[in-house]
Amino acid sequence: MTQTDTQLEELRELVAEVLELEPEELEDNGDFIDDYEADSLRAIEILARIDKQYKIEIPQAELPELRTLKAVNDALIRHSVKKG
Amino acid sequence: MSGVVVTGWSALTSAGVGVDALAKRLALAEAGQVEKGHEIGDLYEEPMPAANGHFLPSFSPREHLGRKGTSTFDRATGLAVVCCQEALREAGVSLDDEVRPRIGVVLGTSLGSFKSTSDYTRETLVQDKPYLVNPMLFPNTVMNCAAGQVAIRFGLRGANTTIAGGTLGFLNVLRYAGNAIERGHVDVVVAGAVEEFTPHRAWATRLTGATDVVAAGEAAGMFVLAKENTPEWAGTRQRAGVLAVATAYGPGGGEAAETALAGCVHRVLAKAGVEASEVSTVYTGEVEDGDEREFGPIVRVLGHRPDRVMVKRLFGECDAASGAVALGVLLAEDRDARPGGLSLLTARGADGAVGAAIVRRYADGGLDRG
Amino acid sequence: MARVVVTGVGPVSSIGIGIAAFAEALRTGRSGISPITSFDPAGFPHRNAGEVQTFDPGAQLRRVDPAEWGRSSQFAAGAARLALADARLDLTSVAPGRAHAIMGTTSGESAVAEALTAQIIDGGFAAQDPALLTQLPANRLANAVSEELGLSGESLTIATACSASNYAIGYAYDLLAGGEADVVFAGGADSVCRWAHAGFFRLGALAKDACTPFDKDRAGIITGEGGAVLTLETYDHARKRGATVYAELLGYGVNCDAIHPVTPDAPTVAECMRIAHRNSGIAPSDVDYICAHGTGTQVNDLVESKAVIEVFGERPPPISSIKSMLGHTMGAACGFGAIASTVAIDRGFLPPTVNWTTADPELGVDPVPNAARAANVRVVQNDGFAFGGNNAIVMLGAPE
Repeated sequence: MTQTDTQLEELRELVAEVLELEPEELEDNGDFIDDYEADSLRAIEILARIDKQYKIEIPQAELPELRTLKAVNDALIRHSVKKG
Repeated sequence: MSGVVVTGWSALTSAGVGVDALAKRLALAEAGQVEKGHEIGDLYEEPMPAANGHFLPSFSPREHLGRKGTSTFDRATGLAVVCCQEALREAGVSLDDEVRPRIGVVLGTSLGSFKSTSDYTRETLVQDKPYLVNPMLFPNTVMNCAAGQVAIRFGLRGANTTIAGGTLGFLNVLRYAGNAIERGHVDVVVAGAVEEFTPHRAWATRLTGATDVVAAGEAAGMFVLAKENTPEWAGTRQRAGVLAVATAYGPGGGEAAETALAGCVHRVLAKAGVEASEVSTVYTGEVEDGDEREFGPIVRVLGHRPDRVMVKRLFGECDAASGAVALGVLLAEDRDARPGGLSLLTARGADGAVGAAIVRRYADGGLDRG
Repeated sequence: MARVVVTGVGPVSSIGIGIAAFAEALRTGRSGISPITSFDPAGFPHRNAGEVQTFDPGAQLRRVDPAEWGRSSQFAAGAARLALADARLDLTSVAPGRAHAIMGTTSGESAVAEALTAQIIDGGFAAQDPALLTQLPANRLANAVSEELGLSGESLTIATACSASNYAIGYAYDLLAGGEADVVFAGGADSVCRWAHAGFFRLGALAKDACTPFDKDRAGIITGEGGAVLTLETYDHARKRGATVYAELLGYGVNCDAIHPVTPDAPTVAECMRIAHRNSGIAPSDVDYICAHGTGTQVNDLVESKAVIEVFGERPPPISSIKSMLGHTMGAACGFGAIASTVAIDRGFLPPTVNWTTADPELGVDPVPNAARAANVRVVQNDGFAFGGNNAIVMLGAPE
């Protein structure tokens, strides 16, 4: 697995835990709210856990766009690069 | 306020989940013994003040409730929600959207899940940045979390009240619930108390406890309460009548508290319209034979020495939940082991708070109005 | 059923201590927000709160020893002492056991909790100071009132978070109306604390500089603290002793969303308003002013406004938030709201929502922006909502 693959799978586990799913049940483009019954609290929880685990800061203003695993992964990459 | 009846109930104690587990433990208990509880083992990482505690081994809310919506439950919330599920089922409560606004929840505690509060505070002190806390765990830090989750789980939309009463917690709850029913805010209340077994509670019990005789414990006890003229949907049986409840305060504690407790006993006898001689059993918060902080004032008012049941000797120091456990013991005990008649439940806090309740247990199985 | 009246108020707040200072602060729209000093705010991007700066427990309290009680208990006892004095009530004339203390709180002795947590971090659980542990239980707040005033009646702490004072005032109403009490000291208390600051910030619900309820660009709460107590009596008891009656407590309503631990539900909130009106024997058209829960978050102010429109129609009564001045005082908030409602009735003005600049077209309410407004106030609705969907609304009216 490439490093990006590892990161994606790590993220999948993190997000799945918040959404009370098994990692396999979480699809890359599944919508947190429409497909997995997430609410605003779970959405902020995902952002908070990523900030904590990866030591970055995703602005709360981006929260409305963080609706899928893919979007979250992109945000993580975007804000990690900024840090460097 | 007039009395209420118990249409059903359940309890989670170190004996396990439900009425049968409690009854079995009582049947096995020997008179005068102090139960040791369970070996704590590696339940928690932190060093504990004793090898044993009165907790539910392998307690898993998921086992009883499923996966959805339970992953953020702290232990107190898990105990409370499972207990409510059992109590509603035992009572045979029939819920629909018409009655949901008429059923409330009143829950007693000392500090809610203090572990949640303290762990959250810890994060703000040790993390790289003080705001790297988990948003989803924030509601767990406030004391009304368990009652709120109970309401969400079962759609109970009437008055939802959390009472921080400590030792007096359960008697406070009975007062508040009785008032809510009498004044018509709700028709039915799931009334109870809960405390969780954690390093925080175990150490607090050790460091401030008045006695070393019992270890810390956890429990949840919930009782479905309704007016004597019970609505059909609240259950068809009546297990017991809570005839009267009184709480008071003795400023400065000591003698003032004893006077206040005596006053409570007088008041509940009068309110219930019963004679002192009818009280055959008392359930107090004492743990040692020589301790008569409550029994003394009780005996002075009653003019005789009823049987005394010290519930904490069996189920540990469960703070606000000990009163709920006491009522559960009253209802689950083998009737032949006890003289008939009325029971008195009392409590006395470390400061000056005191309280008493008179309960009449109905015939085995309860009055079936079905 | 006995009628219930307000004969005294005791605010210990960041905008003033005692009714005179508090009422004047409401009238002038004084802000109690300042940089945090009660914990080290380093590392937080937002660092303001509504701390009570000028409370001197040693001077204010007569029986409760500040060395043995936490900050929230001191607020509770101090506020009760003020409420008693304001009512000009001689407690020795009240039958023992018929005067009670009912207090609401969100976080109880939060500063004590923080201190103990720091001890646990430093030295493990065994290192906790037993004296601090005895100060910790939240029931101490009502007990502090009972001790300070020498009350032998019921001593009850209700922990329904940010609506707790309304639960306390409501229960007091039931005790008085139902004949179980002659006097009840009811209200709430809380202290500013680090974990609430962190938690609200992480939720995106904590504002930076000021609290701007009902403003289009409102950015959240500012945490606050204090003690708010009202002296409540039966009308007969007050009349017999020639007490000054500020307002009448008309009744209250409580219900529970039972949907989400944090996000409020407009239909349930609206229903709580209707229950409060029904229990008080009033119609929406009777209400002259709503003392809002008005936390200043996008969600609360929207939901509260929606509920108000649903119950009152498109031209609801003016609705202002004193949290714009005090910040969110948690378990004391509705107590301060009840005191502000009493002041509004007694002195004939509506407290303003300060810091207001831009109307939010989604809300459709008149927030009494920035300046207090003279008004003949006959009926007030005092709102309280909380985590766990714990809604409680209290109605107050002008004395007959």
